[in-house]
Amino acid sequence: MLSKVAARERRFAISLFLPAFIVLIATTTIPLLYLAWNSVHRVDMTMPWIAGFAGADNYAKMLGDPRFWNSFELTIVYTATTVVLQMLIGLGLALLVMQIPRGQGLLRIAAIIPIVLAPVVVGLFWRTLILAPDFGVMDFIARALGLGAHDWLGDPQLALASVIVIHTWQWTPFAFLVILASLASLPPDIFEAARIDRASGFQRFWYITLPLIRPALVIVVIMRMMVALSAFAAIFAVTGGGPGTATEILNLYTYRTSFTELNFGYGAALAIVLLVVTLLISYLMFRLRAPR
Amino acid sequence: MKRGAIANAALIGVAGIFLTVWTFPVLWALLTSFKTERDVLAYPPTLFFTPTLGNYADVLFGATTILPNLISSFIVSTLTTIVTMGLAIPAAYALARLNLPARRAGGFYILATQMLPPVGLIIPYFLFLQKIGWLDSYKGMTLIYLTFSLPFAIWLLVSYFEDIPREMEEAALIDRAGRLRAFLYIVLPQVSGGLAVTVIFVFLNAWNEFLFAVVLGGNNVRQVTVAMFNFISVEQTMWAKLAAAAIVTMAPVLLLGLFAQRHIVKGLTVGAVKGGGRR
Repeated sequence: MLSKVAARERRFAISLFLPAFIVLIATTTIPLLYLAWNSVHRVDMTMPWIAGFAGADNYAKMLGDPRFWNSFELTIVYTATTVVLQMLIGLGLALLVMQIPRGQGLLRIAAIIPIVLAPVVVGLFWRTLILAPDFGVMDFIARALGLGAHDWLGDPQLALASVIVIHTWQWTPFAFLVILASLASLPPDIFEAARIDRASGFQRFWYITLPLIRPALVIVVIMRMMVALSAFAAIFAVTGGGPGTATEILNLYTYRTSFTELNFGYGAALAIVLLVVTLLISYLMFRLRAPR
Repeated sequence: MKRGAIANAALIGVAGIFLTVWTFPVLWALLTSFKTERDVLAYPPTLFFTPTLGNYADVLFGATTILPNLISSFIVSTLTTIVTMGLAIPAAYALARLNLPARRAGGFYILATQMLPPVGLIIPYFLFLQKIGWLDSYKGMTLIYLTFSLPFAIWLLVSYFEDIPREMEEAALIDRAGRLRAFLYIVLPQVSGGLAVTVIFVFLNAWNEFLFAVVLGGNNVRQVTVAMFNFISVEQTMWAKLAAAAIVTMAPVLLLGLFAQRHIVKGLTVGAVKGGGRR
């Protein structure tokens, strides 16, 4: 009797889960296999006659492709700097805001604004209204401070710094909000006890607060890394990967290879490398997530 | 605790700086959208000018209208939301509450699908949709939007289903109401808030999407995030019109975001705040 009920429940569970599962297989896993297939073939729309099996050629080509190594390096720099900046500013600000008796709500509402905006629109805001030479606000501020006008998006180094700042501007509120929520959920009596034990502010932070919010911090780092690794729209809108290849992270290079140069075989191989990098990083981060 | 007035003022000062920095671009765009193109180019940037509604008239009903693009965005986002919710609600319930075989593996698979880089997905989609003639179509666009909305919606909903007390369902089952009826009439009403938040997030993400829209769209399906580039060309940038178009495009999203403000942290982290691992 009981097993019959159990079997019925299993059938019910499967019938609820299956449609979404099948759709996910069809929309994500099969395209992934097709991507992998393309990565070992010559698929070049500008030279359709060369189509055929390429083996590991596309991957071998990468090793001697300076543009690939440039984009690889930029991806690491972009991801690392944006994530570190977001975490430091987000954590610092959250700790600070916890001390403010009133007006927290206002900052919390302001923090929502960058998060809900489309990255492409954020990119266009910055490109035109803020960073444009002469008319932009940034030049106005720089001149007022005596730093002089700069070609914020035309100079390779400034352009890279600009896209990093833009990403950090948009996503630090995310880190801030999550860390703030995590801090607010800590039981106050722990701090009371520490205060009675005469622990200093730094000691309380280092030995009590930090270990308690560590799981949340690690989750935020993982999520921020995933987003930084798939960043595309804002950079596309601000610099398009330029000047030259100064802000061409792997996403941009893959996009340009596939949809500007129409070399889908090589583009697919680049995308596979990006996927491997993403998986590797998330594997390391998930191991970090496990409590010590 | 005692703390000096100076320290307090410094705290509020820092908070004020961030408040300004986070709101400034939007406020500046709002201001710019009421300027004439000539006022935009004034140096130093001016705060005082005769406001005009001309830019809004132009981007909504004039020669540079983005109205068809707003409609495209609305159709894609709505279709995505409907299909996503239809698939995600039952799947999330099965993951959260039912005796689903290989439940852990299933949950992990859904999490893993989110790791695929969008730029990697767009290549096979482009080649495949081109082959079957679905480029520049709503069905093709909705299909690829499921790749990011469905896993996200399932995980968000799982966290809401897990919050309902089990006794409710058990009571319903003792009444021999049947699993499906218990799910529809007892469980779903309990998570109506969670459903609303999920709908908002799915819609918002679809509305903001750009990469898939720019590659798979065309003259027929051209979302507003793509149409933004109409205002920028090599010869000239139509600053004020771009600002007005951006404000029109972002207004619904900002309203939704502010409306769901209290739930946004939960939506963004899907359970991270509770203290890490879910099982």
